Amino acid sequence: MANKNFQRPRSQVQKPNQGWLTLGLFLLPIILLAGVIFLFLQTGGGLDFEAPAPVEDITVERIILTGPPESVYHIEVVVRNSGPQAVTIAQVVVNEGVRLFTMEPEGSIPRLGTASVHIDYGWVEGEAYGVTMFTTNAVAFTAEIPVAFATPESNTQNLWGFTLIGLYVGVIPIFLGIFWLPALRRLSRSWMTFLNALTAGLLIFLGVDTLVEAIEQTALVPNPFQGFGLIAIGGVGVFMLLAAISAREGNMRRSESAKRMAIAFMIALGIGLHNLGEGLAIGAAYNVGEIALGTFLVVGFIIQNITEGLGIIAPILRERPAIRQLIFLGLLGGAPAIAGAWIGGFSPSATLAVLFLGIGTGAIFEVVYEIAKLLQRDTAKRPAPMLIFAGVISGMLLLWVTGLLIK
Amino acid sequence: MSKKLTRGEFLKAGMLGLAGTLGAAASTRLVQQTPPPSDPHAMHSDHHGPHGMTMPVGEVNHESNGFNPNEILTDFDYGHISRLPGGQTLREYWVVSLNKTIEVMHGIDFPAWTFAPADPDWQNPRPRIPGPTFRATEGDRVRIHFFNGSDHPHSMHFHGIHASEMDGVPGAGPGLIDPGGEFTYEFDAFPFGLHLYHCHAFPLARHIAKGLYGAFIIDPKEGRPAVDHEFVMVMAGYDVDFDDANDFYHVNGIPFHYQINPIPIGLNKKVRIYLVNTLEFDLVNSFHLHANFFHHYPTGTSLTPRDYTDTIIQGQAERAILEFSYSYPGIYMFHAHVTEFAELGWAGHFDVRA
Repeated sequence: MANKNFQRPRSQVQKPNQGWLTLGLFLLPIILLAGVIFLFLQTGGGLDFEAPAPVEDITVERIILTGPPESVYHIEVVVRNSGPQAVTIAQVVVNEGVRLFTMEPEGSIPRLGTASVHIDYGWVEGEAYGVTMFTTNAVAFTAEIPVAFATPESNTQNLWGFTLIGLYVGVIPIFLGIFWLPALRRLSRSWMTFLNALTAGLLIFLGVDTLVEAIEQTALVPNPFQGFGLIAIGGVGVFMLLAAISAREGNMRRSESAKRMAIAFMIALGIGLHNLGEGLAIGAAYNVGEIALGTFLVVGFIIQNITEGLGIIAPILRERPAIRQLIFLGLLGGAPAIAGAWIGGFSPSATLAVLFLGIGTGAIFEVVYEIAKLLQRDTAKRPAPMLIFAGVISGMLLLWVTGLLIK
Repeated sequence: MSKKLTRGEFLKAGMLGLAGTLGAAASTRLVQQTPPPSDPHAMHSDHHGPHGMTMPVGEVNHESNGFNPNEILTDFDYGHISRLPGGQTLREYWVVSLNKTIEVMHGIDFPAWTFAPADPDWQNPRPRIPGPTFRATEGDRVRIHFFNGSDHPHSMHFHGIHASEMDGVPGAGPGLIDPGGEFTYEFDAFPFGLHLYHCHAFPLARHIAKGLYGAFIIDPKEGRPAVDHEFVMVMAGYDVDFDDANDFYHVNGIPFHYQINPIPIGLNKKVRIYLVNTLEFDLVNSFHLHANFFHHYPTGTSLTPRDYTDTIIQGQAERAILEFSYSYPGIYMFHAHVTEFAELGWAGHFDVRA
């Protein structure tokens, strides 16, 4: 039939045309959309709702206190305009007193833009302040300074200080945990299963802890950046990415030993992401004076996080990892705490923190899933449900009890 | 400003310091201690006080506001005067309640309500905060022709002695006057002293705090001793974010006005202040005069001062006449000695000149 004759030229000659047609058809709704938006902007689309007052929102991103000998006593409040339109700060009141201030940059703050409010103010170390910013529409936003002290500058001394914090809460405890390897190697098979289950329990606890921390931090994230969305994207994204990597590794039919090593690396990665979040939180809290990193707290962190090192080596108790592999595992799990403390201490950003904490949550729960699979394999011949139950609960209880030291 | 530069230099100094170049670090410190350039907005006046003093940025636009506290200070409204058949003096006033957006602090607009004095038949109303300072002599007949030009019911409630239907409260006489409505409040000025008036619609605190208040002076028949300066000062506040707490405090409508624009008075000249407290939301207000003492006539109902002091406290609707003179030239502060009010706008200066 003619149809058949017609089809051949269409598939060969008319292909370019069809491409253009497809493109055009794809673009059609977008062109129409542009038209609708244009019409809407021109006419208001028949919606005659005039806002009784402009909606304004300002998020305080950072407060920097400086003083002698580096400068005069000075308060800088970094704000982000998280409202739908530009905002202008008209007056600034510090603790029941109107104060002269300057804006950097000057003028109004565009949507999602940031600006610094500079005030020369004789703040006193250890006292509390509230910086209230009135916009031109008489909306007041207050930046709280719970404890005033000079904000750490990013100099070498402070860099070393935050590095030490990261070492104490991340690297040292994890390596201490890894030092259990020779002892644990002597354990019987079922004790090793128990340890793996215990690791799963530790990780579940850490995962919940990380998620809660992420959710708490969303309160500080400017609305347009959708803190909960960042948690979901970071968490689900990393969970699926790690699951995909793990599945691909599995398909490569590598040895059981290599698989176990891979799981150990993933545990280290998950714990590392958790410690990054922990470092961010500690650095940020230190930055605003909300935390006193007393010896008691540091000891608490070491005791709690030593269990993380235990978790990392749990899957590879029967393997013979090289020293450099163990060092790498320890650094992967612990060193992110240092990076977190740097970022949190010098340039805290709630938005970044929420994203990292979301990623950490996803990574940790994916690793729990990997350990569950491992446990299933290990106990396929001799099921030990009560042993696994005891291990998981022990892991969670272990973190809860050691958590008493640092909360 | 130069904040980033400063930090950059600080870092640089730190690195040079590491290299042992102490001199460079020292010079950087000198740079950092140079005071920042003054804000151009703050240069409206020569009298804005030393650096570090509580100050707002900029000054309000008196022209668009339609009034200037400098004028309110000495603006006594004696009304349109005529004589009644019995020989009694009649003072007539026309007042319109009007909604008016007022720039209360530089850059901050407040949707105020005002009692605007007007010409006969309510022509040419002139919104202001506080409302007009009515001034009559004891025994005069006072007629206040009130027209509600706003979008909410209001009234005028005078402190004084008068008939129930003239009291301007719901449930007595005409009660509240609806938008577009009018009423003439009529009474004999009694007793002499310093009084006030305000809207008595509910919620009361909100209606008053939005700007519906003013001073009402009744002079004694024989008058008060002559003085060189007579000022009216109505103390109040603004709750710009409507949380039933004042954000700024003021005298005669604009916070910090007399701090930025000191009130000139003559050396050894007699000064009389009619001081009224119409502050809402806070229980007390106060007045403190620097480097001086004043004679204090609470409510102005006696010609004998009750005390000689430099600080008084006034509760809501309390008022007093103060008399003093300065023996030394110079700038003198006056402010609420409820000091947090002072730093939020209730502060001013007298500029005493020979």
